[in-house]
Amino acid sequence: MSDEILTLLTDAAAAFAKPDAVRVRRLRAADPGFDRTTWRAMADQGWLSVTTPEECDGLGLGLRAAVVIAERLGFALHTEPFVPAGVMATQCVAGCALAGGAGTDSARQLLTTLLSGEAIGVLAWQDQAGQLAPGWRSVSASQCGPGGLGGQGIVLDGTCHFVPVAQADVFIVAAQCAGVPGLYRVAPDAPGVTCTPHPVADGTSMATLHLRGVFVPAADCLASGASAAQLLQGAIDSAMVAVSAELTGVMERSLEMTLDYLRTRKQFGRAIGSFQSLQHRAVDLWTQLQLTRAAVAGAVRVLDDPASDERARRLAASGAKARAAHAALLLTTQAVQLHGAIGFTDEYDLGLYLNRALVLSAWLGNAAEQRRRYGELADPFGTAEAQDAPETTLPSGGEAARVAVAQAAAHSTTQVPA
Amino acid sequence: MIYGVEQEQDWNSLSDDAFRHIVRADFEEHYPRSLRFPPSRLRWNQNRDWYRRMAAKGWIAPAWPREYGGMGLAPSKLLIFLEEQEHCGIVRFQDHGVLMVGPVLMRHGNEAQRQRYFQGILSCDEIWCQGYSEPNAGSDLASLRTRAELVSGPDGEEFVINGQKIWTTFAHDATHMFALVRTDPDAKAQEGISFVLLDMKSPGVTVRPIRDISGHEEFCEVFLDDVRTPAYNLVGKLNGGWTVAKSLLGFERIHIGSPKLPEHGLHVLMRIARARGLHRDAVFCDKLAALQLDVAHLGEMYAHFAAIVARGDPLGQDVSLLKIWATETFQRIADLIVEAAGPYGAMRGVSDIGGVPVNVLANFYKARPATIYAGSNEIQRNILAKHVLGLPGH
Repeated sequence: MSDEILTLLTDAAAAFAKPDAVRVRRLRAADPGFDRTTWRAMADQGWLSVTTPEECDGLGLGLRAAVVIAERLGFALHTEPFVPAGVMATQCVAGCALAGGAGTDSARQLLTTLLSGEAIGVLAWQDQAGQLAPGWRSVSASQCGPGGLGGQGIVLDGTCHFVPVAQADVFIVAAQCAGVPGLYRVAPDAPGVTCTPHPVADGTSMATLHLRGVFVPAADCLASGASAAQLLQGAIDSAMVAVSAELTGVMERSLEMTLDYLRTRKQFGRAIGSFQSLQHRAVDLWTQLQLTRAAVAGAVRVLDDPASDERARRLAASGAKARAAHAALLLTTQAVQLHGAIGFTDEYDLGLYLNRALVLSAWLGNAAEQRRRYGELADPFGTAEAQDAPETTLPSGGEAARVAVAQAAAHSTTQVPA
Repeated sequence: MIYGVEQEQDWNSLSDDAFRHIVRADFEEHYPRSLRFPPSRLRWNQNRDWYRRMAAKGWIAPAWPREYGGMGLAPSKLLIFLEEQEHCGIVRFQDHGVLMVGPVLMRHGNEAQRQRYFQGILSCDEIWCQGYSEPNAGSDLASLRTRAELVSGPDGEEFVINGQKIWTTFAHDATHMFALVRTDPDAKAQEGISFVLLDMKSPGVTVRPIRDISGHEEFCEVFLDDVRTPAYNLVGKLNGGWTVAKSLLGFERIHIGSPKLPEHGLHVLMRIARARGLHRDAVFCDKLAALQLDVAHLGEMYAHFAAIVARGDPLGQDVSLLKIWATETFQRIADLIVEAAGPYGAMRGVSDIGGVPVNVLANFYKARPATIYAGSNEIQRNILAKHVLGLPGH
């Protein structure tokens, strides 16, 4: 993708999603906590199609484009479920459509309604709270024959936790049938489906999805076996990076508000931003924002590169989410402190950002959980054992960058006439 | 004018693998085992044989363009060269000439200066030190007071220099110094400073090493009493030294921002952790993962700034962030090394921890001055607050 398209997308997103506290306050008091008209407008902009490949009638722009949108939505505090529905579910369903299994037609049809904004779909896969990889255990699927409920199909039983968007129009449920993982398309109004919403800090909700003898026609098994597992994992990794980008936007606006406040609020006859202790804290918060940007950019490069292996993808995704979750909570809570009492009032907009940061940090692994996942994946002791020489095998842009510096230092000088 | 040694061949025309093979074979065969991975930097008399050999081969300045006597390596080849140096545990030398004087003379010097000094740098016959800090001009470098007066001498105009420099790394190994001196006492702080070169053997130069808390003597005090240096040793314009120095500072900050030291520290940390069974300790593993991410994201950020340099664009003030993050990450790693070492945390030299030889304190000491030199991290934060975040002055 060319940088021009990315720039156009950035500008379009900025024009579309502007910080509007009145809107945020209206929506947080309403069910479902976001606006379906805005959702369809986002679909009309093509945003829900950015990561979908062109052969599935998507734009094929990759995660690079998705993070641009997610960041802006974070900045403007738009609670529309772009990451869970517009990135995570669409990526997974598009993968099902391309997998060529029995569920191809259903997946294609579903994808069309997701990309058009007509339906909001989310993945339901967490066996238990805090899971970062699918366990495929909580929902069991059993085959039923032609004499069963509605012909050839599957019956699902079990519970999924932390399903984003309780009001979704379709759930893609991860279940195991005779030891084989599968992704099943389930309508919220199908007999046996109960969706219990739990309100979260920003006015949206997370749901627990109960399935009691839910019949799914065979055609709605969107994918099964290794490809189902791979597609779900891939969607989870992408969502971790995209939500990290959304947190970047939340941080950026919070920091902007805080810096404005430090420049204008006067105490002891001077702007409080002239006090060195506050300056240094502001710099450290800004540093965390820059680190998050760098981590997201690095993760996007890894995930958008088809040559990256699965381990590298998971490491990059975990690294980005660990950084973003840590940085966002640090920055927004410190922003409250730097504002003083006004920052703790509901009337002031900063709290809206803190509440959003709480929700997005907790979803798909907070900093501590992601560090654990990263540590397990990195397995430093496994590799350290095999090596004698003091060098690290962890991924880092360091080496190539050092060269570029040394190179450029030499080259920039050659342009100067003797 | 040929500055260095004729290159054996056009390195960039070789395949990466072939080049790596040549470099590795050479380093492995010739670099002395006893010098590999030393706990602290070595004195010139320990480094000398190896780097003289590198100079004789024409390998002393891999990043310099060939026209100036360097290897002129393309990025992929330079990467290999540095990787192989690190792989073999080859220690950095007294390299201010190659890293700083060369680039500064290419950018701000004149042809006569390049002809006079490049050969000495490339042959390692002349070793350089940096005369910036003074007893009362540390973080506030622009308040430096070492005076240089331009006078007529027997061989033409010359500067007469009086003052004192301090924290001068390896001044006791140096044959030459590049220094910031005040040439106009009446001008505003930064506007009366010039960048001059001088010979350390000149009458009036006195060097006194300073012992640091690790017991090493890497930096020195340098006293300058009526030291004379010819006027042609002025680099850039008279009273224009701040501009020259600043162009090096950005360069220095990005070098200090390299993830190399923290990466090495992580490796030492893992060796100790394994030896003490900490890899089964969840609290330790969480701290370790946090530091691994700090280093990984440092690498991403370093790559971002390096790309700016590689494009030939000027670095903004925001590069200060790199220095802060790299040096403080290294300190956190070094501190965790001491913590992980437990009762071994105060042992001098190489300890045997469960059969694993580790120098516990080497990184700890190495990490201390990094947050102080090249503009303390507090000064870097001031710069960022003012110039990048737009916060009001005091």
